[in-house]
Amino acid sequence: MGNVPTLQIPEGWQSRVPAGWDWTELWVAIEKGKHKIAHELVQKAIDAQIHPKTILDDGLFPGFNLQGDRFSEQIIFIPEMLITARAMKAGLALIRPLLAAAAEKPVGTFIIGTVLGDMHDIGQTIVTIMLENAGFRVINLGTDTHPDKFIDAAKREKADLVGFSALLSTTIYYQKVTIEEFAKAGLRSKVKILVGGAPTSQQWADEIGADGWGKDAMLAVQLAKRLVKEPREAWE
Amino acid sequence: MGRTLAVTFEPVGRTIPVTPGQTFLRAAQDAGIDVMATCGGRGRCHSCRIKIVKGSVPPPTIMDTVQLGHDEVREGFRLSCQTAVSSDCAVMVMPPIAEGGHQILSCSHVFRETTSLDSGVEKRLIKAGLPTEEHHQTSDVEEILAALGNGVSGDVPLDLLRKVPALLRDDGGALTVTTFNKRIIDLESGDTTTHRYGMAFDIGTTSIVGFLLDLATGEQLAAVGSLNPQAVYGGDLMSRIAFAQFNAEALKKLQTRVLAAINGFVKEACDKAKVAPAHVYKVVIVGNTCMHHIFLGIDPTHVGLAPYAPSVRSPIVVTARELLVRVNPNAAVCFLPIVAGFVGADTMAVVLATRIYDSPHVRVAVDIGTNGEVVMGSRRKLVACSAPAGPALEGAQIKHGMRGALGAIEKVEIADDVVCGVIGGVPPIGICGSGLIDAVAKMLDAKIVGPSGLLRIEERDVLAPALRDRLVERDGERQFVLAWAAASGHGQDITISQQDIRQLQLAKGAIYSGILMLKKVMGVQDGQIKELMLAGGFGNYINIESAVRIHLLPDLPVERIRYVGNAAALGAQMALLSETERSRAIALARSIEHVSLAARPDFQDIFIEAICFPGDEAADMLLSGGA
Repeated sequence: MGNVPTLQIPEGWQSRVPAGWDWTELWVAIEKGKHKIAHELVQKAIDAQIHPKTILDDGLFPGFNLQGDRFSEQIIFIPEMLITARAMKAGLALIRPLLAAAAEKPVGTFIIGTVLGDMHDIGQTIVTIMLENAGFRVINLGTDTHPDKFIDAAKREKADLVGFSALLSTTIYYQKVTIEEFAKAGLRSKVKILVGGAPTSQQWADEIGADGWGKDAMLAVQLAKRLVKEPREAWE
Repeated sequence: MGRTLAVTFEPVGRTIPVTPGQTFLRAAQDAGIDVMATCGGRGRCHSCRIKIVKGSVPPPTIMDTVQLGHDEVREGFRLSCQTAVSSDCAVMVMPPIAEGGHQILSCSHVFRETTSLDSGVEKRLIKAGLPTEEHHQTSDVEEILAALGNGVSGDVPLDLLRKVPALLRDDGGALTVTTFNKRIIDLESGDTTTHRYGMAFDIGTTSIVGFLLDLATGEQLAAVGSLNPQAVYGGDLMSRIAFAQFNAEALKKLQTRVLAAINGFVKEACDKAKVAPAHVYKVVIVGNTCMHHIFLGIDPTHVGLAPYAPSVRSPIVVTARELLVRVNPNAAVCFLPIVAGFVGADTMAVVLATRIYDSPHVRVAVDIGTNGEVVMGSRRKLVACSAPAGPALEGAQIKHGMRGALGAIEKVEIADDVVCGVIGGVPPIGICGSGLIDAVAKMLDAKIVGPSGLLRIEERDVLAPALRDRLVERDGERQFVLAWAAASGHGQDITISQQDIRQLQLAKGAIYSGILMLKKVMGVQDGQIKELMLAGGFGNYINIESAVRIHLLPDLPVERIRYVGNAAALGAQMALLSETERSRAIALARSIEHVSLAARPDFQDIFIEAICFPGDEAADMLLSGGA
């Protein structure tokens, strides 16, 4: 068949773990969304003195990325993606403090929220978890977010990226307005702006001057990883 | 004005001048040519597709390829919303908005409810005297009022005042006075007391139905209906509002379109029944909040933004003159009240028609439409919510979707192979909403689709050979072939794609989460629900077992689920015939508790449960918090 996502086994993973170690169980636990098992297995890996970055990259990501690809391909749907995200979060909760201790800096700071007038949050909940999993520091402003709130948060947190979600044909208008407000506040060149949500498109993103459009959660994260590397005006 | 190009739109055969660079859709809309644009012209569906039949075919945009696929793009199909006019050409619009043989329900059954006939419209033949003595301080109007007696208001519309002098002096002063709630709305010479009519309209997002009734007898004289002509500006409520958002001119366009349709129906119904439109004295209009606002010319922008508050909820009565409705100019055009948010006047009509307010047991009314509504309760308490299903249940935004018209697959049986029931018994050309529901239910039973909604292509070898061959992957997408090209009416395979099933899940999930949420708010289990009443034109064609199988409806025994027809239209007719019913709607609207789905913290869990088919493990795990 055409696009059947497969498990991407990290190259040379055996060299980063004690002899006889096997990640398969954890990959499957994340894939199947078994958050209690994921929690146990990550704890076991920590106890075995495996580097937290290795646990993240070799233990957690393969199963997660597999599901993300399947989600993009429509092989799985929202419920399956949510349970995987939840299992991932359970594992991540254990290693995040260790990553911080190991001076793993966040990839970037991402402000996310649903725009003014819109109460939907399932999509941005998935994106938030996936961005956190990808190493971003994420500040989620919730739903029905006024442009000023996005701007205040971006200033306060010295954000690298800002993402607006909108799920209604009537509220995508506020993606445009929020981008205009960033421009008026003189902040447009300090942050990269991403938009997403069911009624949006690449064409819409271009039209309103966003830096990128995430067709789905997986692609949004890939886009974020790319955009965060692009040059921006520095915060004072 | 610069150079223009000539574009001919088929099948209407109109040639219009178009500025180069303008999209085909915009050009068609500006010229008043109907092209369906379910997504509102954003390249998100393929309802506005055209085929370039003469002239050079412009290069496809990315959205053309995404929505139409390589084959159609090669054959000259384009999305009219994405493609700019660059040379003289002729294009075929498809599918045309006026499809033959729509199965939109017109409530043709005789009006049997024991509604009292107190429409508020009264006609009396009087013989008024003329003022005789100069020293009598009187007037023509006062003579008429005196002849009428019993508290009729002296507040007479100006156009009638202008008729008074002649009327009173012709025909020996015999004249027919028409009053609505004790106010004079018509004066005619001679006896016209037997001509007392009214019209009721249900303006839906997708379709409009109307009825002409004799107010004296309650008899239905004519039924009319069609698609809502606003649909060319977006299939669902939100795209309709987005079109008019902060744009007074666009709002005017929507209002003009619906008004033109209503006036067309008035004429059509009156012609059919041989009734003079001037003898139509009362009009009752129901519709969801958005349709209601647009008809009245009230900006719906804020209805489309959280917290989705209407601009007005209270019942509205205006003269036909003010709204430009072509019945008697002094006729009362009555809008039923709005409950809250999108729970509009149509829901109030459903409440009236189902008498759900009068039940000792908990019952639930589900009005399935582009914007669904659910009302649950008994005489103790009523709760209601709106469930934005979108147009998928009506066949829109489905790869081979179509309305319930000639050639639509409406029924599916699966045993060793697939057998399709087609409207009109002709070779199929697409699948309608009820057909989609039936197909997916049967595909679940046959294990062609798993509980998560996935087309189980990996396990197709366990299927009967004929079914296995139908489960294919094409253009990188899983598809199930319902009808092979050779058996279809247009020589193409009719398939249900993975994306179609996801669309169905989202649509039925919206309705089902509404039901689940109201059950939770009311604190009732399925066993306590005495009856589920399925309303709406579309509901009549749904196979109930299939609707339960896919969890569009809850697991009630099928004998407790009943079609009640187009209840909104029925309720509108009740309010037309009876001021008692109209007042009841006004009182009930205040007492119904509105539940806002998206604003509730437990909505996410409920929605997850609702978008799955029964037996989905992932949903069970999420909901139990287990594993």
